[in-house]
Amino acid sequence: MTDATLLFRIFVAFLRVGAMAFGGAYAAIPLVEQEVVAEAGFMEYSEFADLLALDEITPGPILINSATFVGMRVAGLPGAVVATLACVLIPCTVAITLLFLFRRFKETPLVQSAVLTLKCMALALIASTMVKLAMNAVKPDAAYTNVAHGVYAVAVMCIAFYLMHWKKLSPLPVMLGCGAMNVVAVMLGM
Amino acid sequence: MSAAAGGGDGGLRSTKGLIGRLSALFLATFSISATANSGYAIIAVMRDDFVNKRKWFTEEEMNDYIAIVQSCPGPMAVTSSMIVGYQSAGFLGSLAAVLGAITPPFAVMVLVTVFYQAIVSNPFVTVFMQGMQMGVVAMLLDICIGLFRDATKKSLAYPLLIMILSFLYVRLTGCSIMWLAIGCVVAGVVKALLVGKKVEQND
Repeated sequence: MTDATLLFRIFVAFLRVGAMAFGGAYAAIPLVEQEVVAEAGFMEYSEFADLLALDEITPGPILINSATFVGMRVAGLPGAVVATLACVLIPCTVAITLLFLFRRFKETPLVQSAVLTLKCMALALIASTMVKLAMNAVKPDAAYTNVAHGVYAVAVMCIAFYLMHWKKLSPLPVMLGCGAMNVVAVMLGM
Repeated sequence: MSAAAGGGDGGLRSTKGLIGRLSALFLATFSISATANSGYAIIAVMRDDFVNKRKWFTEEEMNDYIAIVQSCPGPMAVTSSMIVGYQSAGFLGSLAAVLGAITPPFAVMVLVTVFYQAIVSNPFVTVFMQGMQMGVVAMLLDICIGLFRDATKKSLAYPLLIMILSFLYVRLTGCSIMWLAIGCVVAGVVKALLVGKKVEQND
């Protein structure tokens, strides 16, 4: 396969992933798996599993991380650039189109009502992710129940919420504090 | 080139010079994307940064953008940068903001691909990340409260119904969010038409 066709295939694969990735980061993972492992055969599943771990510890959106990683592994730096740009192309077009529609028609009751409904949907999506993450934090291991850890996790979440909501602290230092706190707690054997 | 800092009631709109505005946008989304991990975390940091600190937008405008972003496919950090950038400095603004948002993860991932085994097997990194997740839960709750206040300003029953139905859809069906977004737009339009009719009859 020539370089140009390989780059083109990477481009098309991530264009499709970008167009279909509705519903946040965790919804993007199965799409990447489908396009990259199953359809195109760019990499083995074990390599894809490494990618998931890396997504968790690197900054930025999972979709961008995945595109850069896959592009890099398959076709080096040009592959990384092509994959990353491909996965944001359609989302950016949709976003700007919706923004234009919103700006043009935002005073009309129809659009106000639609946006209000979408706000409610946004809240539900965020709440759903929150529930998933909270359950995972309280009970990380499905096999056994550790009450002390559960109480500790709930306490950390409550303190973090108190600091952000009432003390108006920025989210980032609070999150870094939670991370540092967890390192100390694990060292103390919780 | 003018300074990026605006004075007075400040914000981006008073920052003079296109280059100054574009670099301010690039730096803002760059630093947000470099420090926040998941999409929702990015929205929360962005809200704090643009609404509370820089005062480029009001909380209500930001909530409108969050609703639009939730109806788009793709990474929220990128689509929200696109919108925030356009609203601040037109098309060039969205280009600067999107580039700012994708550069940090791109650069980090290129480096990480080279050293990835050593990073994945470090236990401190994993424990730190687990702790940060607890902070993310608190942050999401904070966003939800903001959205709830905003959405229920005029009435309670209809927003609450949509929230519950959407939540059940996401938790129970596992179908694409695209259909939910389309359904919500249709529901909103139908509701507005029904309300309009009622007003006409009352007149």
